[in-house]
Amino acid sequence: MQRQAVTLLLLGPAVVILGVLFVLPLGYFLVISFWRVVLFKLKPDATLANYNQVFELHLSTLIFTLELALVVSLLTTTLGFIFAYLIRFKAGRWGPALLFIAMITLFGGYLMKIYSWMTILGITGVLNTALLALGLVAEPLPWLFYNEGAVVVTLVNFLLPITILPIYAAMRGVTNVELEAARDLGAGVWRAFSDILVPRCQAGIAAGFALSFLLASGDYLTPQLVGGKVNMIGVQIAAQFGGIFNWPMGAAMSFVTLACSLGVVAAAMALLALWRPR
Amino acid sequence: MNAGASFIWRGIGALFVVFLLSPLLLVVLFAFTSRAQSAFPIEALSLRWWREMAAEPEFLPALWNSLVISGTVGIVSAAVGTMAAMGLVRLAPRAARITSALLCVPLMTPPLVLGVSLLGLYAWAHVPMGRLTVVLSHLLFTMPFVVLVIYARLRNFDERVVESARDLGASPVRAFLTVTLPIIRPTVVGAALIAMALSLDDFIITFFTISGGVTLPTFVFGMIRTALTPAANAVGTLILAITIGATLAALWLTRYRD
Repeated sequence: MQRQAVTLLLLGPAVVILGVLFVLPLGYFLVISFWRVVLFKLKPDATLANYNQVFELHLSTLIFTLELALVVSLLTTTLGFIFAYLIRFKAGRWGPALLFIAMITLFGGYLMKIYSWMTILGITGVLNTALLALGLVAEPLPWLFYNEGAVVVTLVNFLLPITILPIYAAMRGVTNVELEAARDLGAGVWRAFSDILVPRCQAGIAAGFALSFLLASGDYLTPQLVGGKVNMIGVQIAAQFGGIFNWPMGAAMSFVTLACSLGVVAAAMALLALWRPR
Repeated sequence: MNAGASFIWRGIGALFVVFLLSPLLLVVLFAFTSRAQSAFPIEALSLRWWREMAAEPEFLPALWNSLVISGTVGIVSAAVGTMAAMGLVRLAPRAARITSALLCVPLMTPPLVLGVSLLGLYAWAHVPMGRLTVVLSHLLFTMPFVVLVIYARLRNFDERVVESARDLGASPVRAFLTVTLPIIRPTVVGAALIAMALSLDDFIITFFTISGGVTLPTFVFGMIRTALTPAANAVGTLILAITIGATLAALWLTRYRD
């Protein structure tokens, strides 16, 4: 009895923080997503108008955002898997150094990475000036910047470390002996990959994919700063809390986006679960 | 493995390293060059962007706010996170797994949604927005990291040393202070540094919950939005130096010491 009380006391502050700063604001948001704004003031209501509007006005933006986030997270998952494989099995004594690079790029520089891609891809940016100086192009390439490609590159760049780590953590549990035994028994490279490596890393792959998909679909600064006319749902959500001042609309958009993103992640996990050794 | 395959893997590794590091290295490089444009060729090395950064009236308030906020977040997050991790090891494995997963849910939520919903909460509860609201908001996404790091350490912890202290008559608090804490201290400090780095680097949640104030990231955002001045590289280098410095110290404390 006393033991349980102490356990609860220890977990208490963390649970209070989660409750007051996460559950409560999202609960309040869910409530106001059924409200209206009248003369720049929130008016309690029970209307589905906001949700209707999300689908009427922003459906194409939402679909585009989910597609782009899917491209980004498939790229980060694939690249993250290759990088984790490289660290675990191929890099030898360089492995710790590569892992170290993934760790130091994890915690810092969200805004600075986006800013740096602006200076790399811009019309007078690093890449264009370098190509000009090398004589590879006659004039700067305008299509490097302010488009979907720039958004994808930037998102992949800062989401890759977040994807590498869970996949690597899962791959650490796979021993060389397992793979060698499979090869000795006649399994080809592909067979060892598909029957041992992927099934053993499933939890890590799922976590990496989910993290990068959810964060990509909710991002708004990247499209704003390197995307030019590229319109993602996050940009529209942020606008509801700035100039437009329509919090109920912003709240409804947030929930629709979250629900759709979780739907995609759940579908992807179900698909991944079908991947079993023959 | 034959030489050709090894050569290909080396190339792939190099490409990854260039892709991950070059954006950060370019920010640092252009913070020390003289041209009014962040581009090649580099004409001369110079500290003019650092002087320009220091001359901005908002720079010192931003630096001060960032240090106060991230320092507070580091300390509070470490304290609350350590308590939670100690609670988790006392739970049955299944309950511990579920609780730690629940504590990590905010990490799976886009920072934009966290930021705007916290803004809504503070406005609704009439909490004046400023450093305090930013600190509270940052606890939400720094605490899960602290809990996971310290929980991992505590699971490899030899409970018998605490039990012997208790058998010798130490109270639970005394046993914690004289036995448990000295052993896990490097991990706790490391986790606090990670929380600090995450807090200092955060732009989105800070932007929505600070009202009129500035931190280093919101300050540099203003520079990026208005004009592409290379002084932004200097601020960026400062942010990177603090966050990566804290991360390096944290990695050293949590991994290479125990």
